[in-house]
Amino acid sequence: MMSLINKGFGVENLRLAFPKQKEMLLKDLTCHYKKGEKILLLGPSGCGKSTLMKVLCGLIPQSIEVPMKADNMSIPDKWGYVFQDPDSQFCMSYVDEEIAFVLENQQIPQNDMPALIDKYLKAVGLDLENSHMLIQELSGGMKQRLATASALALDPDVLFLDEPTAMLDPEGTRDLWETVRQITHGKTVVVVEHKIDHILDFIDRIILFNENGEIITDGPADDILTNYQKQLKEYGIWYPGVWEGRYGETDMAIDPLEQAEQRVYMKLDHFTVYRKKRPKVSIPELSIGRGEWVTIIGENGAGKSTLLEGMMDLLKYKGEKRWFVENDETKVSFVFQNPEFQFVTDRVSEELGFSLNVKNMDPDKIEKKVKAELIRFSLNKQKDQHPYQLSTGQKRRLSVASTLIEEPTVILLDEPTFGQDAKNTFELLELFEGFRKKGAAIVMVTHEMEIVHRFATRAIRLANGNIDEDKLTARGRRQVDGEDGYGQKLDHSQHMVL
Amino acid sequence: MDRNWIIRSTWFYNVNPALKFGVIAALFIVGLFIHNLNTMIWLTGCFFVSYLLFTGLAKMISFWLLFTAFILAILSSTTMIFFGKGDHVLFQWHFLIISEESLARGLHIGLRTFLYTVIGMLFATTTRPVQFFYSLMQQIKCPPKYAYGFLAAFRMLPIMYEEFYTIRAAMKVRGMDRKKGIKARYTKIKRYAIALLSQSIRRAQRTAVAMEAKRFSETSGRTYYYIMTYSRYDLVFIITIAGLVAAAFWLSVAFPFTPYTNVLE
Repeated sequence: MMSLINKGFGVENLRLAFPKQKEMLLKDLTCHYKKGEKILLLGPSGCGKSTLMKVLCGLIPQSIEVPMKADNMSIPDKWGYVFQDPDSQFCMSYVDEEIAFVLENQQIPQNDMPALIDKYLKAVGLDLENSHMLIQELSGGMKQRLATASALALDPDVLFLDEPTAMLDPEGTRDLWETVRQITHGKTVVVVEHKIDHILDFIDRIILFNENGEIITDGPADDILTNYQKQLKEYGIWYPGVWEGRYGETDMAIDPLEQAEQRVYMKLDHFTVYRKKRPKVSIPELSIGRGEWVTIIGENGAGKSTLLEGMMDLLKYKGEKRWFVENDETKVSFVFQNPEFQFVTDRVSEELGFSLNVKNMDPDKIEKKVKAELIRFSLNKQKDQHPYQLSTGQKRRLSVASTLIEEPTVILLDEPTFGQDAKNTFELLELFEGFRKKGAAIVMVTHEMEIVHRFATRAIRLANGNIDEDKLTARGRRQVDGEDGYGQKLDHSQHMVL
Repeated sequence: MDRNWIIRSTWFYNVNPALKFGVIAALFIVGLFIHNLNTMIWLTGCFFVSYLLFTGLAKMISFWLLFTAFILAILSSTTMIFFGKGDHVLFQWHFLIISEESLARGLHIGLRTFLYTVIGMLFATTTRPVQFFYSLMQQIKCPPKYAYGFLAAFRMLPIMYEEFYTIRAAMKVRGMDRKKGIKARYTKIKRYAIALLSQSIRRAQRTAVAMEAKRFSETSGRTYYYIMTYSRYDLVFIITIAGLVAAAFWLSVAFPFTPYTNVLE
């Protein structure tokens, strides 16, 4: 125990295994840290870094019972923890009550509470006119700041941040890290995170794990970023320059479509989508054609998802919407943000064949097709598993695969790369590009500007439910001008009826 | 109750929730022992009027809830009216027999159903869940783990509601609607259940861990953000309720609408 006290906090020779798993997740792991250090735990998903963090604060095994053993352990007395999911870390309905709950737990007198609540909310930049506000009405980024405020209310010596921005858009991510930077002066901070561009300047030490849960290196942030690029790339970490590392400095070349042919697939005319009986998006005119990759961008609440859901008949709309495809039920497909909602069977292979089954396709043909798709989406090893048992990346691949198996002509995607690591994101994007080349039209809601600049041929910016901007990207202009061999201009005023 | 549903605050909101709960529970028991149809009519009338006076619920929602209560009351009364025993038969058709006695009993049961719903609504629409559970912890020493457990569950209801719509949309997109027949309907219900439950169970588990990370524990004592105490409103409340019950009993003797003073006879 003595050695640890001198070194601060940490754990020595930790052995930990989740029940029913053959292999140990963490084996003979030793990790020390000192007061005032700002540490980033990096590694591929599922390598056990988040589990290690829960051990370091004592949540494992006190609150989450997992069999574990360690020779020496030193846990800080006062610590705060911010979790990944903004929707599952509050127990009260109102902002002030949530922080009050933390204060109550520490037996702080009621008289002192209102002032403290204000203090912590101000510290994280949540300047609400009235702190008695429904948590439900906050954006994801604001919820995570509230979670940070309630962690601060514990007056922690050590702050543990467990992928706090995994479910936030780029703006929310930037704001949250800005807040963290301001409030953690002189405090010890331990972070697990995949998107690291915003935090590198305040992290001074990185611990890098491999997929077996072993520490491969531990040192100053700069050294690791320069000397371990290969591992960062392999583990799908969003390190600065990851896009350039994969695709170079410019956008994607635009090859000619496999069959050159112009066609408009969808046309909207005075199209207004209603959410909760209120008009949310109004589009005077819009057409989307063959071989286009349209990204829909804009701030939260601008109506991006609403527009997509309106196109899919999931919300009520007024105006005209016409599809120029063989069959708009099967040839237009939609991939949701949360893949789990879309799973309708108990096995990965059944999941893939489901929509073909609905169409009463010949069973032999289905089997062949499913086999091919399992290999294409690298899900062959998991084919007998339950979809819920897959990793985040695998779930996303399965949800995309099971929608794309019908070979749709129009693919609508609602933030398909959301919460995915770099490796999975690139694989998905390349896959969509493959479909586009075959002539499909891709309509994608995204916050990631790199996708817009590198892959999209056209970008539509929505603001307050209206089209603010509808432009071809550089890549799209090349497609129209035919510099890369597309040869024909895509004329949006014309449309063909099948 | 949801903030959007409540449109006004009446003095019933100021009554101590635990005490209000106790009085309402006592009323339920009193209701069980009333066999005089006239008393039941007056009691229902009195509480119906006081519900209208004191509820904070928006009018349309209030109307639909009362309408539902009315339908329930009619359903429960008809079982007694159509098939009850009695000597003075008014109407007979095959196995349906309506007698004066069964009519009285049926009305009595129907009124009781309506009365209970109205009393329940009077409590539910004038009490904020947070204050109710804080009051339970402070006045009757309810263990915090149950109180906060319920509060956390309240928070999840709107999330589940939204999730339900997302799942419905996702199922539609996957072509669940294209499959027809009883088996397809069964698998659809099963999918909804699995999707909703698995999300909720995991969310509940994560919330529990997050609560412990915020140092929530059973052992230590705690302070309260909302201090719930008794006030003069409580006395007024008890007098009002007692007054209403007494008035109903007196009116039933002074102005009886029916000759049935004991429906059990």
